[in-house]
Amino acid sequence: MMTRLPAPIQAIEARFPAVLLFACALIVSTDVGRAADATTSAASPVEAFSEQLEAFQKSVPDLNKSIEDSAGTIDSATDVEKARAEIGRLKETVSALLGAVSDNGPVSQLGAKALDHIHGKLRALAQDNRFKPEERQFLIEQWKKLEVQTEGATKELDDARAQFVGLLHTLQDNEDFIGELLEIRQAEKALEVIRQLTHEIRDASSQLNKLIGGIKPPGT
Amino acid sequence: MSAAGRRVFGLAVSVVIVAAAIAACRPNGDTGYVEIKTVPNAPVISTALYIDSAKLAPIRKGTAILRQSTGTFKLQADGASGALAQLCEIVVARNRITTVTVSVLERPPRCQCRNSGADAAHTCVS
Repeated sequence: MMTRLPAPIQAIEARFPAVLLFACALIVSTDVGRAADATTSAASPVEAFSEQLEAFQKSVPDLNKSIEDSAGTIDSATDVEKARAEIGRLKETVSALLGAVSDNGPVSQLGAKALDHIHGKLRALAQDNRFKPEERQFLIEQWKKLEVQTEGATKELDDARAQFVGLLHTLQDNEDFIGELLEIRQAEKALEVIRQLTHEIRDASSQLNKLIGGIKPPGT
Repeated sequence: MSAAGRRVFGLAVSVVIVAAAIAACRPNGDTGYVEIKTVPNAPVISTALYIDSAKLAPIRKGTAILRQSTGTFKLQADGASGALAQLCEIVVARNRITTVTVSVLERPPRCQCRNSGADAAHTCVS
């Protein structure tokens, strides 16, 4: 007989395709961006990074809502298997978003590309004689400003990546520990571990929210 | 081709790529992560590392987290003879992180697994 899932789980299930779709769109957008490079302006790598970063930031409230809902469901769970399934869903959500900011993920790669572009511009401008000295100086100052902003955003993205990695590690390590406890028929202890896990998840979620929300995309 | 034509063509290409990628990103297109830490910690390490035959970008600040399809892969480095030398095997599982620390001062570099599993001598698991 099929049992009706609690509302929070249904809500997560409903949002999951959107999160997955966003992550997939991020993954392919590097290729789309690469194809567009030939026809767009010289500043496009920085703009592309900025746009992707903003899109990523917009996805974070959904992630937090998912985490809060999951934590609430896990907190009230008396069935270890249901709680374990919820941990599995959380891992799926966190993993999809980590994909975007991993070192070979689209947002990180666009950040590196944007920095390369800025460094190339600064090198070229230093040897460019087309402009008057004051014009050249103005351009150099603007690119340097973008360089500082892009480096700042990249650094903050590194911190967010570390938080995502920490959260996924926490989830998988606890999942393994719970598995071990169930193998030795320690269901009560497993429920204790699960409850403790929800505190850690909420803390991590709150830190992620602050970190990602605080990133300032370059040029904005 | 006019600018508008190029835009429409670009959009069509994007739609096809996105559709293909969404199909590829279905939950059964399993992926996990490889976390590579290098010791000693340096801003950038010069030792080239490979997952199977794919060369990795230089590892910055002693750590890299890489999205990887699930399965078993060889972590390799440039060997003395010019051929790739296998450091260890990495098992990547769905939505999990497999962590490996590479000691780059040694020649060839050496792997230390966070978790080697129960029966694997030189295989890192998640």
